[in-house]
Amino acid sequence: MNEPLTLLLLGFAILILVFVLVKPESGIISLLLKNKNANQKTLLEDALKFIYNCEYNKINCTLNSIAGNLNISADAAAGIVAKLQNMGLIQVDRDYLTLTSEGKSYALRVIRVHRLWEKFLADETSMTEKDWHKAAEEIEHKLSVEETEKLAAQIGNPVFDPHGDPIPTAEGELPEKAGKHLTEMKPGEIATIIHIEDEPHAIYSQILAEGLYPGMQIRMIEVNDRRVKFEANGEECILSPLIAKSITIGPIKFEKPVEGKLKTLSHLKVGEKGVVLGIAKSLRGQQRRRLMDLGIVPGTEIEAELESISGDPVAYRVRGATIALRKDQADKIYLVKEEEKN
Amino acid sequence: MINDNCVNCPAHNLSNLKKLGIDMSSFDYVVALAGNPNTGKSTVFNYLTGLKQHTGNWPGKTVTRAEGGFEYNGKKFKLVDLPGTYSLLSTSVDEEVARDFILFGQPDVTVIVIDATRVERNLNLVLQILEITDRVVICLNLMDEARRNKIEVDARTLSKELGVPVVPTAARQGEGMNELLKYIYEVATGAYVCKPYRIKSRSKELNEAIDKLSKEIQQEFPNLPNTRWVALRLLEGDQNIINAIRNGELGNLNVQKIVELQEA
Amino acid sequence: MEKILDQREKIISEANKFRWELGENLHDILMENIYENAAEIAKKAVKYPDKEIAFSFDRTLDKILTSKYLGFPLMFIMLGVVFWLTIQGSNYPSGLLSNLLVDTIHPVLRSFAANIGFPWWLSGVLIDGAYLSMAWVVSVMLPPMAIFFPLYTLLEDFGYLPRVAFNMDPLYKKVGAHGRQALTMAMGFGCNAAGVIATRVIDSPRERLIAIITNNFSLCNGRWPTQILIATVFIGSAVPAYLAGIVSAAAVVFIAVLGIIFSLLVSWFLSRSLLKGEASAFSLELPPYRPPRVLQTLYTSLIDRTIFVLWRAVVFSVPAGMLIWLVANVTIDGVSLANHFIQYVNPIAFVFGLNGVIFLAYIIAIPANEIVIPTILMLTVANLGIQGVGAGSGVMFELESSADVAAILQAGGWTILTGINLMLFSLLHNPCSTTIFTIYKETRSWKWTLVSTFLPIAMGLTITFFVTQIWRLVTN
Repeated sequence: MNEPLTLLLLGFAILILVFVLVKPESGIISLLLKNKNANQKTLLEDALKFIYNCEYNKINCTLNSIAGNLNISADAAAGIVAKLQNMGLIQVDRDYLTLTSEGKSYALRVIRVHRLWEKFLADETSMTEKDWHKAAEEIEHKLSVEETEKLAAQIGNPVFDPHGDPIPTAEGELPEKAGKHLTEMKPGEIATIIHIEDEPHAIYSQILAEGLYPGMQIRMIEVNDRRVKFEANGEECILSPLIAKSITIGPIKFEKPVEGKLKTLSHLKVGEKGVVLGIAKSLRGQQRRRLMDLGIVPGTEIEAELESISGDPVAYRVRGATIALRKDQADKIYLVKEEEKN
Repeated sequence: MINDNCVNCPAHNLSNLKKLGIDMSSFDYVVALAGNPNTGKSTVFNYLTGLKQHTGNWPGKTVTRAEGGFEYNGKKFKLVDLPGTYSLLSTSVDEEVARDFILFGQPDVTVIVIDATRVERNLNLVLQILEITDRVVICLNLMDEARRNKIEVDARTLSKELGVPVVPTAARQGEGMNELLKYIYEVATGAYVCKPYRIKSRSKELNEAIDKLSKEIQQEFPNLPNTRWVALRLLEGDQNIINAIRNGELGNLNVQKIVELQEA
Repeated sequence: MEKILDQREKIISEANKFRWELGENLHDILMENIYENAAEIAKKAVKYPDKEIAFSFDRTLDKILTSKYLGFPLMFIMLGVVFWLTIQGSNYPSGLLSNLLVDTIHPVLRSFAANIGFPWWLSGVLIDGAYLSMAWVVSVMLPPMAIFFPLYTLLEDFGYLPRVAFNMDPLYKKVGAHGRQALTMAMGFGCNAAGVIATRVIDSPRERLIAIITNNFSLCNGRWPTQILIATVFIGSAVPAYLAGIVSAAAVVFIAVLGIIFSLLVSWFLSRSLLKGEASAFSLELPPYRPPRVLQTLYTSLIDRTIFVLWRAVVFSVPAGMLIWLVANVTIDGVSLANHFIQYVNPIAFVFGLNGVIFLAYIIAIPANEIVIPTILMLTVANLGIQGVGAGSGVMFELESSADVAAILQAGGWTILTGINLMLFSLLHNPCSTTIFTIYKETRSWKWTLVSTFLPIAMGLTITFFVTQIWRLVTN
C-alpha cells in the first residue's frame, strides 16, 4: 500500500474526483443542485411572471406563448395553467390568460425578489452583468418574505434594478411603464437609456457587448429599417432595429447634454488638470458611492499628481486630498472637454 | 425629561442612548466625536479622555466603539467616538452607526474633527451632520500641518458661514484644546446657540420632493427637529428611518429647536 | 390608531413614488449639491498658497518613493531593515527572558511546590504544563513583537505604508485583491493575529476577507525559528560544510517566498470562486507625511498590538500547556496517551512524509507556533524513552546546539524528507489558535473562520503528500 507510485496515482485520482465534484457551473454537485431546482414551484412561478410581463407590456398571453417561454411542451403548459387556475391565481378568458389580483400580487412578489437580487449582485458583488439574470432566476423561487425584506433594507431599499426596471414595493406597488423604444427616436434627439430588456439572452448579450447600460446619454444620428445609428456617451454605436427595440429611453433629467467623444480621467497625464463631468453609470454601488464621498462629483477639479511605479494606479489631487484610483475606475470618470471649461 | 423652557438642561435622549448601549448614570452630558478618517480624531479623543476610556462594540454590530469621560467646569462629560467616515449617506455599517447615534441618541454636542489641510472635502461630512443636529462644535485640527504647508484657514469666517463654533487646534501638541473644551461646555449648556448652515440645492425636483415629504412628516411628528434630514433619508430608502416612522419612534425625540426650512 | 398608521404608511409610499420619479440619480445629485456648498464655503475661508509651496516636501518625497528606479529598492531596504532589526534585536532579550522565566523561575517554582507538598501531578499540570508553556510563549513572542510593532507603527505614522500599497497594487489587482494587502502581509511576517487585525485598513469587504484568509501564508515570527533550525539540521548538513550556512538560509527564504506565492495564488482563487459574491470597492488615500511621534507610537503599539496579541496567546497557552503535560503523562495500559496517538497515527503520517510526533505537536501546540519545536523534542524523547535529555515527561525543552537536536530527531527516524516536509507543513498548516480566534473576532463568521483554518491544512497535506511520493519515487 505504501508504494509511492500507487499512492501518487491515487492522489491524482482523488484530486481529479474532487475537481469534478465541486467545479462550479458544471461540477456534479452543482448539477445535482440545479436539477433539484427545476421543480413544479419554479415552473408555476415562472408562468405567473410571464403572464404578468405580458400584461405590463400590454401583449396578449396564450397557452402556446407560455409553453414557448418556459421551454416545455404544450401539454405540460396546459397542466400548469390548470393548476394556476385551481389556485385562483389566473383567469382564462377564451384563449387569453389574465392574472387575478392574488395572482398579480404573487407575481409581483417573485419579481421583487428577482430585481432586488439583480440590484444586490450589481451593486455589492463582483459578478458580471451576464450572470445577474441567471442567478436571480434561481434565487427568486427561494427567498422567503423576511429574507427579501432584510436584503432590501441592507441595500438601501432600491427602487430600480440595474436594467432600469422599477422594483415593486413589498406592498406590490409598481409605477406605470415609462419611456419609449430607442427606435422611436428622431435623428438629433437626445435622451437617456432608462431600461435594457434582459431577455432573450442572445439579444441582451449583444447590447452588453456594445458597452451600453442604463443611464447613458443617447444622441440619435440615423434611424431606419436597416440600422439605428447613435452616439452613446459620445461613442458611436450601430445596432439592428430588432436589437434596438430592447432598449427603452426617457428624457434627460439632471445631467447636462454632451456632444462628441468624452475624455476620461485616465487620459490625464501627470501634472494635467481637468473638471469632472460625471461618473459612468456602470460604476455602481459601493464603488460609485465611495468615489463621490471622496469628492469626485460633477464640477470637481481634479489633477493627476503621481504615477505608481507601473503606471497604474495613478494618484489624483481631489479637493485637497490625494487619492489613488485604478485605471479601470479612471476610465469611467468623464471630464468636461477643454473648450467647454471656460 | 422633555422640558421646553429649560435652556441649559441636557438635550440628549436618555432612553435611546440606553438602547445604543450608553450608560449615562454618572455623567451630565454626552458628546459624540465624528470626523473623516486621518484627521487626528483619535488623538483628540485620547487627549480629552486621557486614560479614562474603554473600548467595546456597538450593540449588535462589529464596529468598535471607544468611549471615555472628562470633566470641565464641574460638569461630567461622556465622550463617544463614532466611526471615522467620509459621509453619512451610504449603506455601510460604519455610517449607519454614526448617523443613527446622532439622530436617535441626540448627543448634547457633536464634535466634528476636520483636517485643516483638506477643509473642502471634510465639509461634506460637516454639512451632513449639520442637517441632523444643530449642536455642533468643529475642531479644525492639524493646524500645524496647514501652517507647514502655508495653507491659511480663517476659523472665524468658517464659523460665521457654518453657524457653529470652529476651534483651530493641533491635538498632537495640545494646541487649542482648552478652547475646544470651553466651546463644548458652552454648546452643551446652551450658552452658545448654534445657527447651523443648511444645504442649499439647485435641483427643483429634489427640493420639491423634500419639501412635500418634510411637511407631511412635520404634521405627523410635530416635535421632530430635523424633518428635512428625515425626508432625505426616506428618499434614500433608509430602513431605520422607515421603521422609526412606522413605529412612531421619531415622535419620541426630544425637542431641541425647531429648524426652519431653507431653500436656495 | 388606525388613522395614524395610515398616515405613516402614506408618507412612506409617497417617498417611494418620489423615488421612482427622481430615478436613480438622487444620490448623485445630492452629493453634487453638498460638494457645491462645501466648495463655496471653503472658497471664503481657506487660502491656498501657490501650488509649488503647498506640500512641496510631500511631492518631492513621493516622487522619490514611487520612482521607477528607486521605488522598489527603497521599499525592500526599508522592510529588510525592519526585519533584520526584529530578528537580531530580539535574540538577546529573548535569551534573557528565557533564562529568567524558564531556567530560573521554573525550577524555583518546582522546588517550592515540592516543599509545600504538592502532589506530583498537580505540580506537573500547573508548573510543567501551564506555567512553562506560558513562560515559553512570553519569552519567545514578546521581544520580536516589542521591536517589530513599534517600527511598523512608526512607518505607518509617518505615512510611508500607503505608498507601499500604492506601488504594490498592480500585483494585487491581478489576483483580485487590494494593494493594502501588501501591508497586512508584511504585518503577518511579524504575527498573523496582528496581520489579521491590520486588515481593518482595507475598507472593501471582499478584499478584506481575502487578506484575512491569506494572512496565514506570511511566515510569522513564531515559525522563523522552526524553519531556521530544521533547515540547519537537515538541509545544511546535506551539503558541504562551507555551503551549509548559505544553503540553509536560502531554503528558509525559499519557504517564505513560497508563502508569498501561495498567498497570491489563494487570493486569486478566492476572488474568482468563494468570494465572487462579496462586495468590492477600491480606493486608497495617500495622506500627507507627518513627523512620527516616537513616544506616542511606542506606547500605542505596545498597548494596542503587542500586549493585546501577547495576552491572547498567553490565555491560550495555559490550557494547551496543561494538555501537553497531560497527554505525555496520563497512561492507559502503561503507555502514555501521546504514545498511543503517535503509534496510531504514524502509518498515516508516513504517507505525508511526516510522523505521529509532528502531527500531535501541531495539534497540542496550537496556541503558538513558538512552542512546536520544544513540544516535538519533548514528545520524541518521551516516545523513544531516551534518558538524560530534557527535564522529564511532559516538560518542553530546547537544546543549545543544533547537533544535539539533530541527534534526537535522527533517533526519532527523521530524514531529510521529514525535514523538508516539516518546513512545508510549518508554512501550510492551520493558523495558531490566537489567530483563529482573532479571525473569528474580526469576521464574526464561522464559515470564514473555518475556511481560513482548514484551507491551509488541506493545502499542506496535499503538497507534502505529493512531495513525499515524488521524492520516494526518485530516490528509490
